[in-house]
Amino acid sequence: MTETKIFETAAEANAFLDSLGGYVDPKAVSPLKGESAHEVAVGPVHAGVIEPGHFRFQCMGEDVYNLQIFLGYQHRGVEDAIAAADGNRSRQIALAETCAGDTSIAAATCFSEICEARDGKHPTDEDLRLRELLLELERVANHVGDLGALAGDVAFLPTASFCGRIRGEYLNMTALVCGNRFGRNAVVPGGMRVALTDEKKAKLTEWIARTKKDLDGALRLMFEEPTVLERLEGTGVVPKETAEEIGLVGVARRASVELQGDVLSRALVRRMEIDEAHARITEILLDARNRAEDASRRATPQGDAASRRVTTIVATVNAWRGPLVHAALFGEDGAMLRYKIVDPSAHNWQGLAYALRGEQISNFPICNKSFNLSYCGTDR
Amino acid sequence: MLKALFERLRQGFKTGAFPPAAPNLPPEFRGRPEIDSDITAEDVERAQSVCPVVGALSRDADGAKLDMGRCTFCGRCAEACGKIRFTKEYRLGVFRRDDLVVKSGEHGYEPPKQTNPAALSLKHTLQLREVSAGGCAACELDANVLGTLAWDMGRFGIRFVASPRHADAIYLTGPVSKNMQLALDKTFAAAPDPKFLIAAGACAISGGLYEHGKLPATPALYIPGCPPHPATTLEALLRFTGGM
Repeated sequence: MTETKIFETAAEANAFLDSLGGYVDPKAVSPLKGESAHEVAVGPVHAGVIEPGHFRFQCMGEDVYNLQIFLGYQHRGVEDAIAAADGNRSRQIALAETCAGDTSIAAATCFSEICEARDGKHPTDEDLRLRELLLELERVANHVGDLGALAGDVAFLPTASFCGRIRGEYLNMTALVCGNRFGRNAVVPGGMRVALTDEKKAKLTEWIARTKKDLDGALRLMFEEPTVLERLEGTGVVPKETAEEIGLVGVARRASVELQGDVLSRALVRRMEIDEAHARITEILLDARNRAEDASRRATPQGDAASRRVTTIVATVNAWRGPLVHAALFGEDGAMLRYKIVDPSAHNWQGLAYALRGEQISNFPICNKSFNLSYCGTDR
Repeated sequence: MLKALFERLRQGFKTGAFPPAAPNLPPEFRGRPEIDSDITAEDVERAQSVCPVVGALSRDADGAKLDMGRCTFCGRCAEACGKIRFTKEYRLGVFRRDDLVVKSGEHGYEPPKQTNPAALSLKHTLQLREVSAGGCAACELDANVLGTLAWDMGRFGIRFVASPRHADAIYLTGPVSKNMQLALDKTFAAAPDPKFLIAAGACAISGGLYEHGKLPATPALYIPGCPPHPATTLEALLRFTGGM
């Protein structure tokens, strides 16, 4: 989905892009004082194989009074690099894909939609469907990995082990379609570099049915285990009003608005989204999609009036964490002056900080996994 | 408990046969590139115009060169000029930076064998401390995946450990962003001697698409890719300690 806006000056357009948000500003609070007040600092290098960030738990006794999140370790200047690569779209899209590696397909789709709105060149129905298929595989792979990690963090190893393997199956399905486990180098402006052949379709249909059965079995174990539920339920609650007030998006928002807003709710939303994604994947594989619906997914052409004016094009894709927003600013001469990326994570870090209030530090891992936000996507 | 056992029985044994069996690679997998000896200056220019990485593809008096240490294996150069091909060769890990450069007209690639006694002494017990320094999470996720039961690298004595104090090598991913330089240097310094640096992915090796920070040491193992396929990584780690 794209939206084109025309501005009189670049300054106005820049102000509009700024208003899209996406910057996380750590608000330092005064150090806690008192006999039982203390601070625990962790990171930027963590114990697992994960991205860097610094967390500071300000505690009163055992309870976390406030969690300060310090980001920026991952900043590589992706946005400036994309704008500087104007004219070399293969470089631009590679930069977009590596902004957050677990969201490569959504990012490539955003970038491509901006180009498509600009050029007025649209992908075919087949290409649009293949994009959506890859996007849903990306969603399932990540949700499966997160549910497994969550099980691992409460020491429920059966689901942790099963899901670690099953996540790989979805990455391999993505690789079957395009050669890369993260779906890179597949989506390009105007279409796709790969096609979903009948042979691939048949293989994928059988593969996904078999894997879904294993996945359902693995998740049933976790969600029927009282010791797991007891750990997840009521932990890290973000109430509905708070979620709306601080502007949570995606999985975290659904968990707070539709369910109870605790770790369990965020896990259940992921499970629901896995099922929803499978329904869409099956629909695409069986060719049971209404073509008119595909047409509505196309980028909206910017129109003739925009070609010689200061213009912004904003593309939004429903990525697995929530809405991923890419925006480009074009000058009167048609050159790309600025590129901006708003990862859904940028809206949700405050939610993680909120979820930890009143919890013990020992609940940080499951709170953190239930959000699983992107450091590199936020830092850009 | 019983339910978990039944589910395990139903799902069956799922650890892959690789190694020693060949890995199950996707049909569109792009491995080590090959360049024809008759590639012209125009061919190289055409390929360069679609290459996402600055300096991955070059040409001099000896012919064309493709630097796997920079390459994202997107395959666009192969599409643009018929003189470059990506083979199914997944054994891409090397011990010297120069060995990552593929030259036109080269044939009959065999991955290098380890001769360093310090590395050979780590056979069946290689403890790695991962540091992500500006990594996009793809390299990190595909390193993590080696610990799952599908790859189970623990059966070869290879593990990711929680502290650099317990590590034989620092497994670096990402281009070394400015804000991670200090943390990377400190983590590397915290590992006991003798220690190795492993550069995994185009970013760690050369910066890839990004500006390259400073590496705390010369890497003893280079694993190219964007990200490297888990089979490439596992084979490289095993060969690094003389395992394959």
